[in-house]
Amino acid sequence: MSKEWGSAKPSRRRERSYSYRRRDFLGLLSLGLAGRVSTFWSPPVHLPPPVPLFREVAEGVGLKFCHFAGATGEYYMPEIMGAGVALFDYDNDGDLDVYMVQGTMVDPAQDPRKAKFPPPPDWKPGNRLFRNLLSETGKLEFVDITEKAGVGHVGYGMGVAVGDYDNDGFQDLYVTNFGHNVLYHNNGDGTFADVTMHAGVDDPRWSTSAAWVDYDRDGRLDLFVANYLDFTVKGNKRCYASAGERDYCTPKMYQPVPARLFHNRGDGTFEDVTEEAGIGAAIGPGLGVVCADFNGDGWPDIYVANDGAAAHLWINQRNGAFKESSLLSGTAYNAEGAPQAGMGVAAGDFDNDGDEDIFKTNLTNEGCNLYINDGRGNFYDASAEFGLLQPTFPYTGFGTEWFDYDNDGHLDLFIANGAVNRIESLRGSRYPFNQNNQLFRNEGDGRKFREMTGVAGPALALSEVSRGAAFGDVNNDGAIDIVVANNNGPARLLLNQSHSLNHNHWLLVRLEAANRNRFGIGAKIEVRQHGRKLLRRAHTDGSYLSANDVRVHFGLGDDPRIEKLIVYWPDGRREDWERIQADQIVTIRQGTGRNIQGKE
Amino acid sequence: MRKALCLISCQTLILTCCAVGAQESPAIPELPTLALDNASPSVRNQIQEAYTDARARAGDAAAIGRLGMVLQTYGLLKEAAVCYRWAGQLAPSTFRWIYYLGVVEAEEGRCEAAASTLRTALHLDPSYVPAQSRLARCLFASADWNGSGELYATITKRHPDNAEAYYGLGRVRAARHDLTGAAEAYSKACALFPDFGSAHYALALVHRALDQVGKAEEQLHLYEKNKDRAPPSGDRLVDEIRALNRSATYQVQIGMELERQGRLEDSVAAHERALEIDSQLVQAHINLIQLYGRLRQFEKAEEHYRAAVSLDPGSAEGYYDYGVLLLSAEKYEQAESAFRKMIEIDPLSSSAHNNLGFLFERQARLPEAVAEYRRAIENKPNNRQAHFNLGRVLVNQQKYQEGIQELEKTIEPEDDDTPRYVYALGAAFARSGDRQTALRYLGKAHDGAVARGQSELVASIERDLHTLEAPGTPR
Repeated sequence: MSKEWGSAKPSRRRERSYSYRRRDFLGLLSLGLAGRVSTFWSPPVHLPPPVPLFREVAEGVGLKFCHFAGATGEYYMPEIMGAGVALFDYDNDGDLDVYMVQGTMVDPAQDPRKAKFPPPPDWKPGNRLFRNLLSETGKLEFVDITEKAGVGHVGYGMGVAVGDYDNDGFQDLYVTNFGHNVLYHNNGDGTFADVTMHAGVDDPRWSTSAAWVDYDRDGRLDLFVANYLDFTVKGNKRCYASAGERDYCTPKMYQPVPARLFHNRGDGTFEDVTEEAGIGAAIGPGLGVVCADFNGDGWPDIYVANDGAAAHLWINQRNGAFKESSLLSGTAYNAEGAPQAGMGVAAGDFDNDGDEDIFKTNLTNEGCNLYINDGRGNFYDASAEFGLLQPTFPYTGFGTEWFDYDNDGHLDLFIANGAVNRIESLRGSRYPFNQNNQLFRNEGDGRKFREMTGVAGPALALSEVSRGAAFGDVNNDGAIDIVVANNNGPARLLLNQSHSLNHNHWLLVRLEAANRNRFGIGAKIEVRQHGRKLLRRAHTDGSYLSANDVRVHFGLGDDPRIEKLIVYWPDGRREDWERIQADQIVTIRQGTGRNIQGKE
Repeated sequence: MRKALCLISCQTLILTCCAVGAQESPAIPELPTLALDNASPSVRNQIQEAYTDARARAGDAAAIGRLGMVLQTYGLLKEAAVCYRWAGQLAPSTFRWIYYLGVVEAEEGRCEAAASTLRTALHLDPSYVPAQSRLARCLFASADWNGSGELYATITKRHPDNAEAYYGLGRVRAARHDLTGAAEAYSKACALFPDFGSAHYALALVHRALDQVGKAEEQLHLYEKNKDRAPPSGDRLVDEIRALNRSATYQVQIGMELERQGRLEDSVAAHERALEIDSQLVQAHINLIQLYGRLRQFEKAEEHYRAAVSLDPGSAEGYYDYGVLLLSAEKYEQAESAFRKMIEIDPLSSSAHNNLGFLFERQARLPEAVAEYRRAIENKPNNRQAHFNLGRVLVNQQKYQEGIQELEKTIEPEDDDTPRYVYALGAAFARSGDRQTALRYLGKAHDGAVARGQSELVASIERDLHTLEAPGTPR
């Protein structure tokens, strides 16, 4: 599926001028014999780089995890949905740890050994936490510390959201399930406690992605939980593919269930404010969630990708309530007004014009959406214009994120793909849902994205049933890596090696707010360099069922000079710093910069 | 020297011709291998028949092409493409096979290949408009605005009544940020086919981009009314492929479309055809429960209910539709049982709780009714019907404030039901003694009902307005 969009260096031959002299004519004829007359005039083939852009290293570094979907042959919907993954520093030792969400039998009465694809012999039930030993040993290595940490919830796991809800400086986990959800409070000593009941944030429905967001800007992270469908094992419906074989149902066969918004009271408990906040006014089968200030008014909004239905754009009314505005904003449907699947979402300023654009992944034969923001929260779908529609058409996309893989200052895209209905060309195979993931390079300046999948190396050639994806710098080398969660398959760690192919500079920013919202979730950071402004947002949400590294990454291109770094804190304050050096991980503490008043 | 050069040139020409000639006669490919063990018998048999015929007549483009059509109708696109390519090679001047190949390539998202194939097809028959439209769409998906725009312009020139072409032209203009031009083209598309949902949507976004929010909202309203409607494609060749589909699920799809159009008897016929193909297709039985119910053929409805739950005891929808049937026949005890069975399977069903509440209300079991309405709302906070029912019960119990609070939640969004809900809210205010607010809402309801041509509702509101406005009416 690789498509090369040019910008390769011209060959020496193309730089020469040709005239039709006799010997050239003969030369042309001789090439004609070989059927290659057009060689002189065709663009040179883009060769793969000498080192693969990404290298898959999961098992080699101890990240041994295999997801179990619990497929029984009854085609229970949860079996095809997969699960998520979180990249977060649970012990604050400066490196990223990994939390993998696990499945089980959808019907708990059934024996896993009787599953259609039984789990491997060394399989352990329950979610797993892997501690990164990089800071201790200098070497990238993971060790499973689930039991010690106490985070191995056993259930039909779906997603995970990371946020420090009690502002104690340690990031907590909210785990969503097909069934009851779990809030794990990070005790700060390597252990977690299940505080779900006390906190009042359970939801027994089929929950999917969740996001921590300080929607009322009171310094405390609130919790938005997307819910999916009213599927039950007892009420499992029988659905069929076109040729009449049994297949997984589409979400249209069930009713969507409402999302939930929990307001953080600040005392370890939450209040369900779904109805007061207006979130119940529109219901959809929610899958992906991302929070960002889409209309530029300084307050975080919430975008929800709904499966097979209009997406929701909840615009913060700044008074505790939200208004659903996806239709008028242009983000509900594709350019033709048709609802699409909508699984993974990412928000980011890919065109460096200072606002948050939205990327959404969809089903095979739909193509992805690239919603470009006009700065006021009005969007249009430009996926065709930017060359993302066609290449994504044959794939069912899930986890995704805007990230600058080559540190050139432009946000690129990775998509974790895997089908949800049998792929006809894989008919007859045991698990006919495999697809390869995709990598797109942002060429900048309004040009089309270039698909790099075919030249990124064997890691991008893996054909699996990918679902969740989390993004972060796992080995602290300034290049963003990716952990991919596969449905009924092994976890993958794609280590980014592109820094060995260029001399681009980078900066990784860890925010520390004063007392509240300690990790600065929702803060915008602007880096100014030689006339350009790079705007990024501190977040852990987005993608599909997954949570990203909260540190904010900047690719700086070939110029390491940073004129200024500005932080727009969630509480409305603004500060700037000068003399920040590139190529380092820097902690920016609120109150240590120069206060900015008014517009800059 | 000159003689040697001529000799080399001649030899080269000969060799080139041979090479070209060789390229024009490729080996005939093998028929695709198909694994259809789990396909339904009717589909398997149909494919097998076509396959056998193709094998027997491997040199006959019609036989190979027909196999391709059968495969395509069941979504086996890659395999269909192999057949079409083969048929196209056997009969290179037959438009149909090349066109079908282009259709399949486009459906697979391979727009560049599809564009090339469709161009080849159009050389054979430049007049086939659906092929031109598909090519234009492929070019658009590849961001070839020039190619796409030129083609759409050509179509509109030759076929000025082609709404889809104007829509496509609008999309090209919008992609070029020519918003005024886009609005013009979209408006033309909507004028030619007023139910063109996509065109209304696109026009709405253009108005929004031009800061014409009122117009944008108007267009969005029209879009919402016509979401799934589009001009007929006029593609008789693709229609032939669809007509080959003998699967039961396809008949159910046809049935559901007919039901959407209000053609209940035709819908029943399609569903019954589905059951002739596959008597175990639960969804067909379920759909027939409510179809026969609406046609007042209760015995037939019950027959299909029994079939549905016998085939699938977990069929929540079957219990629900049966419950609705019994409720409309005022068989309350049996209806309650059906709804409770549904809730046992799907406790989150807002509709089932709402209907149960309504059932209890009809039986004057008001506390139970209120509890069920509240459960319905908890499971679906925007369930207007449940808010309305709860509000009504509370107002009847003279709990005016609570009742009005519930009814206030029903007056948005703005749609065809809104005047009725606003009317109810006005009536609640009147009952509570707040005449001014009552008059305000009744007036609003009246205007909304008039705008929608809801004459019976208008008459009813006018009677109440008359009563409220009468001099002797207590304030």
